[in-house]
Amino acid sequence: MTSYFIRRFLLIIPTFIGVTILVFTLTRLVPGGPIERMLSEAALASAGETSTVSDYDGRGGSMLSDEQLADLEAYYGFDKPVVVGYFEWLGKVLVLDLGRSTRYNDPVWETIRDRLPVSIFYGVCTLIITYGVCIPLGIYKAIRHKSVFDNLTSAVVFAGYAIPNYVVAIFLLTAFAANLEWFPLGGFVSDDFADFTLMEKIADLFNHAALPLIAYVAGSFAFTTMLMKNSLMDNLAAEYVRTAVAKGLDFRRAIFGHAFRNSLIPIATSFGNNISLIITGSFLIEKIFNIDGFGLLGFESLVERDYPVVMGILVISALLFLIGNILSDICVAIVDPRVKFGSGESGQ
Amino acid sequence: MNVLASRLKGKFTLDPLTVKQFKRFRSIKRGFYSAVVLGVMIVMSFGAELLVNSRALVVSYQGELFFPTYGDIIPGRTFGLDYDYETDYRDLDGLLQERGGDDWVLMPVVPYDALENDLQPGVYPPYAPSLASGHYLGTDSTGRDVLARLIYGFRIAFAFSFLLLLCNYLIGIAVGCAMGFWGGLFDLIFQRVIEIWNLVPTLYVIMIVASIVVPTFWTLAAVMVLLGWTAMTWNMRTSTYKEKSREYVLAARALGASNPRMIGSHVIPNTISVIVTFIPFSIAGGITLLTALDYLGFGLPPPTPSWGELLSQGTSHLGSPWIVYSVVIAIGLVLVMVNYIGEAIREAFDPKKFTYYE
Repeated sequence: MTSYFIRRFLLIIPTFIGVTILVFTLTRLVPGGPIERMLSEAALASAGETSTVSDYDGRGGSMLSDEQLADLEAYYGFDKPVVVGYFEWLGKVLVLDLGRSTRYNDPVWETIRDRLPVSIFYGVCTLIITYGVCIPLGIYKAIRHKSVFDNLTSAVVFAGYAIPNYVVAIFLLTAFAANLEWFPLGGFVSDDFADFTLMEKIADLFNHAALPLIAYVAGSFAFTTMLMKNSLMDNLAAEYVRTAVAKGLDFRRAIFGHAFRNSLIPIATSFGNNISLIITGSFLIEKIFNIDGFGLLGFESLVERDYPVVMGILVISALLFLIGNILSDICVAIVDPRVKFGSGESGQ
Repeated sequence: MNVLASRLKGKFTLDPLTVKQFKRFRSIKRGFYSAVVLGVMIVMSFGAELLVNSRALVVSYQGELFFPTYGDIIPGRTFGLDYDYETDYRDLDGLLQERGGDDWVLMPVVPYDALENDLQPGVYPPYAPSLASGHYLGTDSTGRDVLARLIYGFRIAFAFSFLLLLCNYLIGIAVGCAMGFWGGLFDLIFQRVIEIWNLVPTLYVIMIVASIVVPTFWTLAAVMVLLGWTAMTWNMRTSTYKEKSREYVLAARALGASNPRMIGSHVIPNTISVIVTFIPFSIAGGITLLTALDYLGFGLPPPTPSWGELLSQGTSHLGSPWIVYSVVIAIGLVLVMVNYIGEAIREAFDPKKFTYYE
C-alpha cells in the first residue's frame, strides 16, 4: 500500500508538467499579452493628454522604439522560444519563485498570499456548515425515511442542488441585499472596518459573509446529505445490522455503534478534495459578491492577461487538486480496512 | 426458421427489462411528470416563433389571409401602410381595430421578438412587467422583452446541451471503452491525459479562442467538447472495467468472439444503464456551463438571447429585480425538473430496496 501511494505521488510529476506546459504554451500563442495591453493603455492615456494624435502609426499606438519594445519583451521573457521560456519558469518554480505580476508588479506569491485569508475563511466556514449539518441531517432522514420531514427536506435540498450556486448567489444578492437591504451588497468587510470594536467587527464580518455562505453551501449540501442518507440506509439493510438487532441490541446503538461508522466511508472518498475547495473557492461567487479572494484573483488575472499570476494560480490549484485526490484515497484506506489499493485495478 | 422468426420478433418487441424499467420510471410521479412537462416545453420551443414573435400569426386584409410568421418579410405597403420595410404588426393591429371593418390581425401570445427593442418615448428601459404593454415579465435594459428572451434562450440552451451531450458521449464511450477494455499502457497514458485536461481552466481556453475568432454557437460547442469529453470517458472506463471482468465476457471470449464483438454486443449494451443515468445530469451541466459563460460575457455573441446574458443585465440593474427573478425562476424550474428526471431514471434502472427497523 505504501508503495502504491508513493507511486501515486510520483505520478503527480508528469501530470503537473503536462498541464503547466500546455497552459504556458497557450499564454505564448495568444495575442493580447501584457505588452500589447500596456501599449494600448499608454496610447489611450496619451490620447487623453494630447488632443492631437499625430504620431499614431497603427502599430498598437506604439510610442516606443523597436529597441524599447525588445527590452520590454526581454523583461517579461517573451523574447525566448517557448521551450526555453518554460524551463526557465519551471526552474524558478522549483525554488519557489513564481515571478512578478505584470499588473501589480508585485511578486506573484505575495499577491496570492494576500488573498488567501479571505478564501480560507469562506472555505472553512462552508466545510464546517456542510459537514456539521449534512451528517446529522442525513442520519435523521435515513431513520425517518419517507416521513413528511424527509420528503420536505429532500425537495429543498434537491432544489439547492439543481440550481447552480452562482444563480443562487445572484438571486440572494438581488433579493436580500439590493431590494430588501438586509445585507450589504458585497465585499468582505466594511470600509471602516478598522475603527470597529471587536464585537462590531465580528458582526460586520458575518453580515457580509451570510449571503455568500448560503450560496456556497447550497450546492454542496445536497450531495453530502443524500450520500450520508443513502449509505446509512444501505448499511441499515445489511446483514450485520440485522444480526445486531436480532441479538437484542437497541436500535440507537445499532445505528451509532455499527451502521454509522461504515456509512462514513463514501463521505471519506471526497474528503481530501476539500483542501482545493477551502483554498480556491468559487470565482463566480467571489465575483458576484465582489469578495477579494483567490478565485476572483484567478479570474481577473485571466481577463487582464496577467500571465505570471495565471501560472502561479495554476501551480497552486493543480497541486492542491492532485494532492487532494491522493488524500481522499488515504482517508478511504484509513476508515475502511478492507480497501487494498495497488492490487488489481491500477489507479482510480 | 424458428430461430430466425424469434430473432426478428426480438428486434421489434421491446426487451421485457426495458418495459419494466419504463414502468418503474412512470411510477415515480415526480420524475415522470417532470419528463412530460419538460418534453412539452421542448417541443413547444421548436415552434417558439408561433408563441413569441413580433410578426402576426394571421392577418386578414381585404379578404385575403396572410401568414407572416415564417418566410420573407411582408412590406408595410401590402397592408396599405406608407413604408416598404417590414410591417409593424402591433401597430397594424391597433390601426385596423380603430378603423373597424372586417380586417383583423391575430398576434402571438407574446407579441414581441427576442431581438427587438421596444422603447417607450421619454422613459428609459428596463420597464417593469405590465399586462397592458404585453411585456409580461418586463423588459431588459435595452427594451427587449424578458419573456421572449427567456423562451428563445431556453431553446438555444437546450439545443446546445444536446449537441454537447451527443459529441461528449460519442467520444467518451469510444475512448472510455477502449481504456477499460485494453487497460495497460494505453489506459495509463489516457489517465494522465484526462488528469491534465481536467486541470486546464475551461474559461481560460474559451477566452483564448474568443480572442482569436469571434465565438459562434458552433465554435463554442467545439471548444466545450474539446474540454468536456473527459467526464463520460472516465465513467465508461470504470464501467467497462467492471463488465470486462464478468463471466459472460469471458464466455464470449472462450467462444472465440472478436474484440469488436465483445465490446459492441456484450460490454456496451450492459453499460447502457450507466450512460442513460448520466444523460439528465449532463444536460443540466451543459445548461449551467453555458449560462455561466454567458453571464461572464464569454459565451454566445450578442444579441443572442440567453439566460446568462439576462443574469448579467440583472446584476448591473439591481433596481429592476424582475430581470433576475424571472431568470432565476426559469433556471430553477428547468434544472429542478431535469434533476427529478435524472433521479427517477437512476431509480428505475437501479431500484434500491431498503429494510427499516423501528
